Amino acid sequence: MRKYLSTLFICLIVISGLCAQQKRLLTTNQLIDLTVTAGSSQQSIATSYVFNRGIGKSKKFEIGLGVRNTAYFGVKKDFWTAPANLARTTTFPFAVVFAGQKTENWDTLNVQRPFTNSLNATVNLGYHLSNKFYAGFNIDLIGFTVGRKSPAVFTSNGVSKTEPAAKPAAFNLLLTGDNDYGSLNSEFFLRYQFNKKNGVLKECTSFYLQNINQPL
Amino acid sequence: MKKIVFACISLVLVFSACKKDQSPTVPVNDPLDTTAQVKFTGTFINGPFGMVTGTAQVLRAGNNDSYSLALKDVMISNGPDLHVYLSKEGQPVNFIDLGKLKSAAGTQVYSIIGNPDFTQYKYALVHCQRFNHLFESAELMMR
Repeated sequence: MRKYLSTLFICLIVISGLCAQQKRLLTTNQLIDLTVTAGSSQQSIATSYVFNRGIGKSKKFEIGLGVRNTAYFGVKKDFWTAPANLARTTTFPFAVVFAGQKTENWDTLNVQRPFTNSLNATVNLGYHLSNKFYAGFNIDLIGFTVGRKSPAVFTSNGVSKTEPAAKPAAFNLLLTGDNDYGSLNSEFFLRYQFNKKNGVLKECTSFYLQNINQPL
Repeated sequence: MKKIVFACISLVLVFSACKKDQSPTVPVNDPLDTTAQVKFTGTFINGPFGMVTGTAQVLRAGNNDSYSLALKDVMISNGPDLHVYLSKEGQPVNFIDLGKLKSAAGTQVYSIIGNPDFTQYKYALVHCQRFNHLFESAELMMR
């Protein structure tokens, strides 16, 4: 496996949000996100609902849960096919993310027209950097995926095999790194808030780093 | 707000626009190694999704043990994402991908990495990967 789906750096626009209360920094913070990413050979559209609760006296730090629906589609994408116990030097949770890679064990599944639609529960973290700036991170925890079957080419040790109908994994579960199952997404974003009226966040622009992990 | 939504949708549509990715139609005429030995040869026959004329030859270089596949004087009906395979079967089940088809016409040479067992890999195929459509095949017989 030489390439893998990861890290689209795209300028995104968060269309609208709702804030539950009217204080400057809120006890709870609810919002709905519409996120669009586009690359030359892959695109995704994600809609998520976020419910965060401020922590501490200042309420600058937030933690919460949410739900995200992500539609992903692409053309001729390579997917990792080796499980963590073959592809990494350790499978220990979290450590696996930074573990060495055994590239000699990688195989490639090149899916010709992948399409997945996943619904996942998310965990969210956020921090109010200032009155205008907010940094946030969220990641899918568990959920399920539906998607279409697509022709694929499986390559191992230079020899290929046609897979007439590769289909996405139905169950998603965050176990960190290559231990993950299914289609999981994460976002890191910085948000700049233009204005706020009556507790409603009218409009903001965000820059996201989105990591899409979608083994089939 | 409407402008922003419109911009997002436009962005997606622009990037998701179907790339035809057809093979070039300008004939390619790769030079053939005149010292190479023709080890196997076969005539292309039409697959379920294409029309073709021409021959396939496995060449062994005169100065070393490297092999290549030559498609000679071929004329292939064009399609998206066409690849050239050396295959064990007449269908693209188990194969070595030699790369994208250089052109729908002409004489083309594709390097064969390693020394595969040509008694097993005895077919040359042109296959549309994206839609899993076989365009043509040639059974390679020992010369």
